Amino acid sequence: MSTQTSSTIQFPYKRTLGPVISRFFSELTAQRIVGIRSGERVIVPPMEYDPETGNALEPDFVEVGPAGTVVSWTWVAEPGKHHPLDRPFAYALIKLDGADTNLLHALDAGSEDAVSTGMRVAPRWRDEPVGRIDDIVAFVPGETPEGPAAGEAQDVQTMDYFSTITYTDVLSPTLERYAASMRAGVITGQRCPQCNRVFLGRGYCSVDAITLGEEHEETLPDYGVVSNYTIVTPTPYPGQKETEPFARASVVLHGDEMVIAQQQIIGIPVSEIRVGMRVKAQWFADDARNAAEITSKGWGTVAGFIEGWLPTGEPDEPAEQYMNRVF
Amino acid sequence: MSNESNDRADTAIAIVSTAYLPAVRRNDVTETEMLIAVVDEALGKVGLKRSDIGFSCQGSCDYVSGGTFSFVPNLDAMGAWPPIHESHVEMDGAWAMYEAWVRMQHGDVEIAVALGSGKSSTGDPAEIYLNELDPYYLAPLGPDPVSLAALQARQLIESGKSTERELAEIAARSRRDAANNPKQQVRSAETDVDKLLAEPYLRNPLRKSDLPPISDGASCVVMATARKARELVSRPAWIAGIDHRSEVHNPALRDLTDSPSTRLAAEKAGGVEGVEVAELMAPFTAQEVVLRQALGLGDDVVVNPSGGALTGNPLMATGLVRIAEAAEQILSGGRNRTLAHATSGPLLQQNLVCILEGDN
Amino acid sequence: MGHEPVAVVGIGQTKHKKRRDDLSIAGLVREAAQRALDDAQMTWSDIDAVVIGKAPDIFEGVMKPELYLADALGGAGKPVFRVHTAGSVGGSTAIVASHLVSSRVHKRVLAVAWEKQSEGNAQFGLGGGKSGSIGAGGAFAPWIRAYIRKSGAPEHIGWQVAVKDRQNALRNPYAHLHLKDISIEKVRESPMMWDPLHFLESCPSSDGAGAIVLTDKAGGLAAAADGRPPAWVLGTSMRSEPSSFNGRDPIRPQAGVDCAWDVYKQAGITDPRNQIDVAELYVPFSWYEPMWLEGHDIAPVGEGWKMVDRGETAFGGSFPVNPSGGVLSSNPIGASGMLRFLEAALQVRGAAGEHQVDGARVALAQAYGAAAQYFAMWAVGSELPSS
Repeated sequence: MSTQTSSTIQFPYKRTLGPVISRFFSELTAQRIVGIRSGERVIVPPMEYDPETGNALEPDFVEVGPAGTVVSWTWVAEPGKHHPLDRPFAYALIKLDGADTNLLHALDAGSEDAVSTGMRVAPRWRDEPVGRIDDIVAFVPGETPEGPAAGEAQDVQTMDYFSTITYTDVLSPTLERYAASMRAGVITGQRCPQCNRVFLGRGYCSVDAITLGEEHEETLPDYGVVSNYTIVTPTPYPGQKETEPFARASVVLHGDEMVIAQQQIIGIPVSEIRVGMRVKAQWFADDARNAAEITSKGWGTVAGFIEGWLPTGEPDEPAEQYMNRVF
Repeated sequence: MSNESNDRADTAIAIVSTAYLPAVRRNDVTETEMLIAVVDEALGKVGLKRSDIGFSCQGSCDYVSGGTFSFVPNLDAMGAWPPIHESHVEMDGAWAMYEAWVRMQHGDVEIAVALGSGKSSTGDPAEIYLNELDPYYLAPLGPDPVSLAALQARQLIESGKSTERELAEIAARSRRDAANNPKQQVRSAETDVDKLLAEPYLRNPLRKSDLPPISDGASCVVMATARKARELVSRPAWIAGIDHRSEVHNPALRDLTDSPSTRLAAEKAGGVEGVEVAELMAPFTAQEVVLRQALGLGDDVVVNPSGGALTGNPLMATGLVRIAEAAEQILSGGRNRTLAHATSGPLLQQNLVCILEGDN
Repeated sequence: MGHEPVAVVGIGQTKHKKRRDDLSIAGLVREAAQRALDDAQMTWSDIDAVVIGKAPDIFEGVMKPELYLADALGGAGKPVFRVHTAGSVGGSTAIVASHLVSSRVHKRVLAVAWEKQSEGNAQFGLGGGKSGSIGAGGAFAPWIRAYIRKSGAPEHIGWQVAVKDRQNALRNPYAHLHLKDISIEKVRESPMMWDPLHFLESCPSSDGAGAIVLTDKAGGLAAAADGRPPAWVLGTSMRSEPSSFNGRDPIRPQAGVDCAWDVYKQAGITDPRNQIDVAELYVPFSWYEPMWLEGHDIAPVGEGWKMVDRGETAFGGSFPVNPSGGVLSSNPIGASGMLRFLEAALQVRGAAGEHQVDGARVALAQAYGAAAQYFAMWAVGSELPSS
């Protein structure tokens, strides 16, 4: 059975809108829908440019709707987490009265049987508008908009967009063996039979593009020399947990065949890290080792198995011969 | 343009070899390892080595692969040491081939390779694909690819251009063809049209049979100059033309029952006259109808004999698989003129057409 | 049948800023593209094909944004193409676009590269969305340390480049940073971000876009006859190597050496130091200026910092580097390579305004990406190449 891996990438994007989208969203906060004139056509939602030609459009806004006619639809019986409604609903292309283009939006019609092409729909307005496309919560059957009384238009200049995506994968056979070896406290590399270079948890030689398997695997030493490092002053961003300067070092394993990059040196202040310093792996306790940091999108990592590298106190190696060995 | 071998200009470029991995729900190896395998296979067929390649171009997508700079390790599949001349597009491998074809027009590259790869098994298309939509007006509404395809299918049906039965027939035909193609993923599914029509809607009017599977895969095409092509294979698949065109992004602003960009790309690529086989990248049944009609393909044109994207859909590789299949129709299938199509973006926004020819 | 000569006849860029809060993403790319079209005296309908470049899509959270941007760039009914080669992408975008003309596939091509970093966060993006991102600075800092140690360069070299590029930026109205009171002391005293790199030795995070219009020989000659001399493309090249293997030299990557000599050969350059009048090199961290001078054989190995020290790379020096202010003054990541490429074109057109290098006839532009493993370079000149 393969090891499952999972990662969720999420970020709260903040979009600036520019004059045209800004105007459209501002009008929505006052329960008005505007399009923009392009020649004979009225485009809804309004765009900064004619989509057919790219030519800039004058800010000639036209109020449309609020009611319109369904041009096409489909029924979402089991809404997912990214859908706008948490009960069964329709997506519909809606031609608003006075518009020459269709608008994609949600249609809250109760049941699939209640939806048909040609039906009339009107917006249901959000209770407290924020100036986004979903200030129209959904369209509803009929001619009459739903929602609270319209308020003053707000000046909307930005839009929040929270993105979250979860990826799941399994470890490749090479990474599976690599992880098992690391759980047992042994670093295993793969040696290319053609160029004799050693790689960590890749499954292939990065130079010769040869697939490497179990027969190419060998145990590597878990001690070596700091070949280079940097001390990072962390900057804040969503998801960032680091607050104090932290060091990341490259460690050349004994025998000079393998560099492990971006390692923590532990047991000493970051200011005392030196190129040439001899270090030894500090493994996590057996039950604390985990493969969560290994993914099939990357190469073998020691993260999750090796906490960091402890200076051994032996005399330093000459710095010059190691400095180039970073990655 | 003549099909006579001797008339083929020295500047002509041909596909000489292709390879693609079987589309599977989940491939356990990494994307780079998948690419190593297809490059090995494609080069091996014609006795070439990586060092023979003058230019290579890869197509893949971070959002599909699930990591920032996901194409960087994939470079290693080319054996990029000593350094190589290569490029990458955040597009299907079919567009990678387009870039390689453009590069070959300069005459200084004899062998070029195009690749496409993706592991869509790792994510949920409904979660990923809304991010390729207009970030202000569409993405916040969360429309998933199947819902969008259903809006298109309904318009096609209600405009009288197709029927649910026709869509079911396309699904059944694709599945029958896939049964004969070990590289396709959906190979033993129901093929009785009445039974398919009796299945419930997933997104009215689309049923599960109208949808593609989620697939992992990688594809590779090897191109050569005329001189090299004749050296390497007895029957090169000459690239008579290749062109791609975009449309307006927002599907709500388009006539979803037509694909003018496909029609235009086909015209620029030399036209559909005499095409015997067409491999159309139609991940939804209704899109095959749209494409056939837009291209004006007659009933005598064999469509998607491979089983098509409907039965194997490795995102970012699927379009190049179509080109590989259309090329194999000439390289090993004895056909004279075939068409391959690739698409990108919501509801056929962007379309590429490649016309291939064999020597009579 | 040789290649079709390629002429850059239109150049445009945005005002680069920390946050272009007055624009949508489409508005940002259109500001640069419209300026390039105006400069070329063309309209959207004159363009045959559009090539778009940018760095990772996660920076703005828009997947394959060339789809959403297709019509913003007049792309309906046209080929719209998306390049992504990491940090070198702005340069590769220009090169891929130039190939569409040199191959005679198209006659008039618009190339646009952009980034709207303020929508998201680059540290987040580069860290794969996780905590403890070391960012680009943390990734490159060890190599910079190695260069300093190997070459014996004094530490003021990095400060000097940081000051020089910011002073150059004062001549460039489009540059993001206009640090009027920049000084060696200020750089030296600025926080140590990625030891040995100080905050002011590092590039900013910018919103911005750059665009060029490329055309064929007839188009270039017509522009010249109209009093709008084009920049002629003398040579282009892209080279890549794997990021990580034993024996790789990350200080002077072989792909960078090979890429440069491929361009030099096409451009008839045998002595880059003397035959090139000005260079726009991708220097996101100050030390990369001497590193690339050596990495592209403009200076002998170990001597690049001496060119800096002698002031030769300064504006008015004998080999000016980054008269625009460079990446150190404006860094809309995906566009940063394009800005190098278009600044080189501006120089040989004599159109660089206050940062014009006198008598610039041959200019070099370079961009690099990922683990200093992807390279894109071009040389442009004021004269139509002879063959």
